[in-house]
Amino acid sequence: MKIAVCIKRTPDSESRFKIASSQTAIDETGLKFDIDDFASYAVEVALQLNEKQGPGETVVYAVGPDLVQETLRKAMSMGADRAVQLKTDAVPYDGIAVAKALAAELKGGGYDLVLFGKHAFDTSGGIVGTATAELLGIPCVTAATKLEIANGRGTARRDLEGAAETVEFPLPAAVTIDEGIARPRYPSLKGIMAAKKKPLETKPAQLGAARVTVKSMDLPPERPAGRIIGEGAAAVPELIRLLQTEAKVL
Amino acid sequence: MANVLVFAETRGTALRKTALEAVTAARAFVDAIGGGEVHALVAGPSGVGATASQLGEHGADVVLVAENAGLEKFDRESITSTIAARATAVSYRAIFLGFSAQGRDVGPRVAAKLDLPIVTDVTEVQAAGDAIVVKHPAYANKVIVTLQVSGPSAVIAIRPSAVTATPSAKTAKVETIALAAEPSASRVVVKDVVEGGKGKIDLGEAPVIVSGGRGLKAPENFKLVEDLAAAFGNAAVGATRAVTDDGWRPHSDQIGQTGRQVSPQLYVAVGISGAIQHLAGMRSSKTIVAINKDKEAPIFKVADYGIVGDVMEVVPALTAAVKEAKAHH
Amino acid sequence: MAASNAFFAFVLTLSAGFFALNVQRLVRYMSLGQPEDRTDHPFERLKNVLTIGIAQTKIFRDPVAGTMHAFIFWGFMVLTAGTVEILIQGVFSGFSYALLLPKPLYQLYGLSQDGFAGLVIVAIGFAFYRRLVLHPKRLEGDKLEHTDALIILSMIGGLMVTLLLTNACQFVLDPSSIGPEKIISRQIGGVIGVLDPSPLFLVKVFWWMHALLILTFLNYLPYSKHLHVATSLINVYLSNTSGPGQKGVMRAMDLEADVEQFGASDVENLTWKNLLDGYSCTECGRCTAACPANLTGKLLSPRKIVINTRQRLMEKAPLVTGDRMEFLHPALVHGEGDDAGATTATEVLEHRLLDTYITEEELWACTSCRACVQECPVSIDQLDIINQMRRYLVLSESRFPEEIQPAFESLERNGSPWAFSPGDRAKWAEGMDIPTMAEAMERADRPDILFWVGCMGSFDDRAKKITVAFARILKAAGINFAILGQEEHCHGDPARRMGNEYLYQMLAKDTIGTLDRYEVKTIVTSCPHCFHQMGNEFPQLGGNYEVIHHSTFIERLLQDDRLPLNTDEGKRLTLAYHDSCYLGRYNDVYEAPRETLRRALPVVEIVEPKRTKDRGLCCGAGGGRMWMEEREGKRINAERTEELLSTGAETIAVACPFCMTMISDGVKAADSSVPVLDIAEVVERQLVG
Repeated sequence: MKIAVCIKRTPDSESRFKIASSQTAIDETGLKFDIDDFASYAVEVALQLNEKQGPGETVVYAVGPDLVQETLRKAMSMGADRAVQLKTDAVPYDGIAVAKALAAELKGGGYDLVLFGKHAFDTSGGIVGTATAELLGIPCVTAATKLEIANGRGTARRDLEGAAETVEFPLPAAVTIDEGIARPRYPSLKGIMAAKKKPLETKPAQLGAARVTVKSMDLPPERPAGRIIGEGAAAVPELIRLLQTEAKVL
Repeated sequence: MANVLVFAETRGTALRKTALEAVTAARAFVDAIGGGEVHALVAGPSGVGATASQLGEHGADVVLVAENAGLEKFDRESITSTIAARATAVSYRAIFLGFSAQGRDVGPRVAAKLDLPIVTDVTEVQAAGDAIVVKHPAYANKVIVTLQVSGPSAVIAIRPSAVTATPSAKTAKVETIALAAEPSASRVVVKDVVEGGKGKIDLGEAPVIVSGGRGLKAPENFKLVEDLAAAFGNAAVGATRAVTDDGWRPHSDQIGQTGRQVSPQLYVAVGISGAIQHLAGMRSSKTIVAINKDKEAPIFKVADYGIVGDVMEVVPALTAAVKEAKAHH
Repeated sequence: MAASNAFFAFVLTLSAGFFALNVQRLVRYMSLGQPEDRTDHPFERLKNVLTIGIAQTKIFRDPVAGTMHAFIFWGFMVLTAGTVEILIQGVFSGFSYALLLPKPLYQLYGLSQDGFAGLVIVAIGFAFYRRLVLHPKRLEGDKLEHTDALIILSMIGGLMVTLLLTNACQFVLDPSSIGPEKIISRQIGGVIGVLDPSPLFLVKVFWWMHALLILTFLNYLPYSKHLHVATSLINVYLSNTSGPGQKGVMRAMDLEADVEQFGASDVENLTWKNLLDGYSCTECGRCTAACPANLTGKLLSPRKIVINTRQRLMEKAPLVTGDRMEFLHPALVHGEGDDAGATTATEVLEHRLLDTYITEEELWACTSCRACVQECPVSIDQLDIINQMRRYLVLSESRFPEEIQPAFESLERNGSPWAFSPGDRAKWAEGMDIPTMAEAMERADRPDILFWVGCMGSFDDRAKKITVAFARILKAAGINFAILGQEEHCHGDPARRMGNEYLYQMLAKDTIGTLDRYEVKTIVTSCPHCFHQMGNEFPQLGGNYEVIHHSTFIERLLQDDRLPLNTDEGKRLTLAYHDSCYLGRYNDVYEAPRETLRRALPVVEIVEPKRTKDRGLCCGAGGGRMWMEEREGKRINAERTEELLSTGAETIAVACPFCMTMISDGVKAADSSVPVLDIAEVVERQLVG
């Protein structure tokens, strides 16, 4: 199968974030970047599908400045065959703008399947995948936790709140991938070496106009320091009260 | 004066909580921009029109009902087309919906179809002159981003539970509309929907997790943890590596560096000391409660609320208290 | 020359020729391995041969079996002289050393031959008893192995007996030819003389039996585990396991090299030295008996690793070298279990050392404690083979226990094997007024020493207490030190131990860059893994620093009276110190922590567990196992903790944050409340003020 996977370069999710002086972005000093978690599941799904289903091609796409080339190489070190960078200085927050760039590039690519992560860690939008599918005019399944392809048709499972939905669809189609579906493989040194030689194309990104822009970024209010609220069963009523009023989880 | 369209999600013929939240948000927005109408669009199998009164109670001026036998199961394509068709025929300042699992499927499609900007997982909406300003959490809830949406219209997908559905009674005018496409023509077909109600809630999805560790002393005592989880109603049961290694609980219950990594709304650590490997699995939980008889236990450093005491004593008391608290809501 | 001489010369030539062909064959097989230079430090290597080899120092670690073997070995060496004499006599009947040596020396020589023959017989008798009656666990091999052993013992016994009988008959025939120094022979001669006053025939029979036994024995060697007779001293010479140089340093690896694969999956990827190790293994099982994984029920057996290497070489090498002696496929050179049962050449080539012989499970069970290497009497490096195969699994096939993937990813992204925010690294130091290197350099106040905290010490709650205790000690002693703070990240040792050389080199090189930027010369650390990595392995990548473990550092401070301690008499305290593998077997630091404890607690009684110092049992966390699940058998830390608790000690002391975690867990699991303290904490509690 010819599979396209759209990935994103995002900071490591364990980091503590600070807001940059511009107030409209995070401070990137000292942050480590890698393939976005959900996108890496999508890459793994693509690789596994092509491993199971005989010869195919997995192509990874990313929108962004030259820094994303490292991220594309990482995907190729996992096993993707080639990569395309849609170059732009800054990735817009506007998911539709990004979707337009991807759709313009993917159209006519002859892909059986286009995969995305459910959402990206940094923008947490969950927009690009579904919107790109719509622009390409292909069916889309969002947040798949299971995906199987056979005879030109796909079956996917999605989690609804408290239930699981099974859907079927024809190819070509787009699927956004949720966690739990596959564990992204750890690139072997062999893979890392091979990735250096795989083709990486750079083209300008044909972004749509950015109609959603960042006005400001703020850190959420400080989590109050944890405290021991009491001893023994006697402390239970106070705990209930705090869970209800302060933490609002009860 | 401008109108707003709300897609009110249903499962079968019943409105979902997120639909009412979306209507509430839409109502508040419309009132903030100087009045206008809230049009709620609901699509479902026959009988779904009965939701109109509920929608009206929460602020809908007009309820557009699209009934179709083919909507027994959720059909994203025909619903997307219907919303898009309506928004093409009638001008709206914004289209609201809940950013639920189905909302994720519908919202961005509608936006792409209509070439509108879209913002998702929104916790606050404000009108700011010609623009709409929204807030939403990003970076796994570590950063709050304020976004400005420009243009004559936009799609706003509200984060479930971020807005409280508030009554704002209007007499809703009910209009029947046709689905813009036949569900049978949809390419994505729903084969089945399996309710996950009975049986274990997955650790990755449970909003509440109650976990037990070696402080429980014996495998039989895990019943305390199970009872507490049952009292919460929507809780899953987890365990530390120490007790799964000893066979008290299955390996799939293990939370930690080499087990599951979870981030529920509430994590209750019972008899868990808080070794580095366990913390790695649950530190990003929204609220952490710890019960342990050792006040020096490292778990108390990461817990929001800690109780020092004998778990055999504290947990049953907590279970009873939780049951009561739940009963009164 | 009589006909018998000519005949013997013929037999001798044939035997020698056959043996030479076998030697050549085995050498050719061995040269399938990768090249490696072991020509350095000849004097140190010779010293090892004299101590480990000739003086049998490692053999004596088992006092009973050791004595037995020493007799046989020394006997063998001494009797070789006699063997040569006999073989020459076979061709030139009149030959004798008496022609070359002055009489007293010849008599001494004669005494030695007789004496050692007797000792060897006693030893062989005990060996038979041990193997057939006592059945020591570590000698458990398969039927073939037992048969081999019994054949050897019988042949050696036979050699001794025939030697003495020959001399005895000779004595009967011509008493003057056997001097009074040959006590035993003469005694036996007395008996024979009664049975056969003129044993002309017997003497020939025994002589020929003896000579043919020698030649048979010689040619049996290449087909038996007794090959070690020929290779062991050479192996000890060429080994690095007891020096020259620093022990326990993993092989350097050039990741830029244009090679087919990284690490070892089959015998030709190992070096010729690893293959020589295979030849030299006597299957004594001392390594496996000391292996913490094996004795808690895991599949791993260091002996099996080495024997499998030899088996695989014997399976593959004949094919690859086009060996025309392949028809003599040495079915006797066996070991643990059968060979892989390949019946066709294709099968042989499809097999490999990894998977067919040595499974992933065995390779990952290793804690790299070095007990196997410590015990091996012929200086085999079992750990080297395990490490090279781990490298292959990770670098070439990305095959490893899935639970360590988060550790790798975290190391790459966070600079620590756990998912903690790098920003939290120096939180323990808040309020302690400890400068970072950056701050100190800004003030142009170059610190004398860098205190390297390590990831455990920075993030683990229990280990943080050790860090704080040691920092307080440094302050109390007035040491001018700094920490790297948030500039510190893992040096990559866990990745290296787990086989991920690529990730390791990335992290290590970056660390060296940071250290060099600050012109760091001296580092003190409370973690033995950090200590070993930065002090002993960094030089491979160009990082050269003096690295001191905190136990040694504190001992020096105490020696120099730089720490004001309360010396009031407390209650007598019994304390058990658990030796860290990376301090102990890797770096021979056994006394410093004990001395430190004695100085800090004047009224302490240090009780040693049964397995202590260089026989100490690992806590189970080394070799990257801290990040892996232990699914089989008994938990290693439980085993060790039980042993420590059974000393009756009131406190357990450790010098490593990993040992701290494992032993503390073990104490809790045993429902005990014996406190576990780091030696820094013990000392800090005694600080005045």
